[in-house]
Amino acid sequence: MTIAIESLFFSYGRTNILENVRLLVEKGEFIGIMGPNGGGKTTLLKLIMGFLEPSLGTVVTEGVIGYVPQVQNTDRDFPICVSELILLGALSEASIWGTFSPLIKKRAESLMERLNLTQHKHTMFGQLSGGLAQRALLARALLSDPDILLLDEPTANIDPISAQVIFEILEDLKGKKTILLVTHDLNTIIHRVERVICVKGRVSSFLPKDVCEHFAMGLYHSPLMAPCENPFTVRG
Amino acid sequence: MLFTFLDNVFVQMAFFACLLASIPSGVVGSFVVVKRISFIAGSISHSVLGGMGFCLWLQRAQGFYWLDPIWGAFFSAIGSALILGWVHLNYRQREDAIIAAIWSTGMAIGVIFISFTPGTNVELMNVLFGNILWIQNSDLVQLALLNGAILAIIVLYYRKFLALCFDDEQARLQGVKVQRLYLLFLSLVALSIVLLMQIIGTILVIAMLTIPATLAGLFTHRLQIMMVLACVFTAFFSTLGLAVSVVLNWPPAATITLILAGSYVLFLPMKKKKISFHPFP
Repeated sequence: MTIAIESLFFSYGRTNILENVRLLVEKGEFIGIMGPNGGGKTTLLKLIMGFLEPSLGTVVTEGVIGYVPQVQNTDRDFPICVSELILLGALSEASIWGTFSPLIKKRAESLMERLNLTQHKHTMFGQLSGGLAQRALLARALLSDPDILLLDEPTANIDPISAQVIFEILEDLKGKKTILLVTHDLNTIIHRVERVICVKGRVSSFLPKDVCEHFAMGLYHSPLMAPCENPFTVRG
Repeated sequence: MLFTFLDNVFVQMAFFACLLASIPSGVVGSFVVVKRISFIAGSISHSVLGGMGFCLWLQRAQGFYWLDPIWGAFFSAIGSALILGWVHLNYRQREDAIIAAIWSTGMAIGVIFISFTPGTNVELMNVLFGNILWIQNSDLVQLALLNGAILAIIVLYYRKFLALCFDDEQARLQGVKVQRLYLLFLSLVALSIVLLMQIIGTILVIAMLTIPATLAGLFTHRLQIMMVLACVFTAFFSTLGLAVSVVLNWPPAATITLILAGSYVLFLPMKKKKISFHPFP
């Protein structure tokens, strides 16, 4: 098991965000996370990364975690160029003087090539389009060769070409890395993921075909989750 | 007229002090600007008055003649930096209120102790607005040593500070002890403030810590170049300000601040070609 969350509760002050969450993720699974705004999707990712402490319960992870934040949440005025930004993904491997080995630089070059960023490597991060910036953040996360890759709406508000490049990379990584991808765009991910997790205070797991059936039946406005169901149930 | 003054040993010392001030102003100031913590730096710089006032009172009214008020400034700056850092890391929702509280409380403590200290109106003005023309040889040595310490820390931690300032979550995933690093970072800001306040005073020190770096940011999109340019701007504009103040008989700290601010306003609307270099192959 790569991620094991047991009886997790989390609240900001008196506002409960997540209640009684149980979630087990197998190694190499590709999971889509969806849910309404404020439902706790990003909070769940931050709990998995250990940035937040659960009010109750446990979160256990195995392996290196890579995180791709939403590009809108980064400082686009920060004076950093693409190559510098990507190298920060291997900060743990830097020498005491903060320099990187030729091997790491080569890995960074190869990732830039794979994500079509080579011609932008000296460009300021803030001067990139949203799509290119998102690709640079993905390259930074991949440079650490993570076992678990967490992505927070990586294709929101970006151009279709960048979205395509990102999904091609994720397809390549399928089965090799555990991927949890937060999205609002169900159409784009439903045929790629092995499981869909709905987060709205509680957490429920579904097989993609169940989610498709739900919408095929025209139930666009009814919730995927019944309020009292077991949050760990995998339907189907 | 200026050349006559240049023969004056006090003016010579002041010019050297301006040059030495360029390192903390340019290097640490660049981090302060990109991390957007100018108000935290402002709070630390104003709280310094508390420690200085207390030490001045001990020295002048209580017979602790050996006690240099700069130690009061040093300890109150570090103390304020650690409190602000702790609040930032643990109670971020109340951070702005704590910044304001430390800012004003430090000044209040300083004013009270200075009012208890006999014959210190001139001292108060020097602490608040600096008096670069009072710089002595020992002060220059102190400035040089502190500069060395700041540069050594920056060289060792540059990449980690870069990660902390740009995206502390990513830094944490990379195994960086973000909380400790942030406290070290604020302590470095505090040390720079203590160094710069001897030249420009506690009230105006924030100008020297932010304006040259902001000005440098107009010309480059690389942090390292921003630091170098900010050092050059501080050295140039502070010596220019000193020269103008000597010629016009204006207060040096205020003149330096006005020249820094004026140069920023002058360059702001101009379209500039960004300077860059690429160490990465």
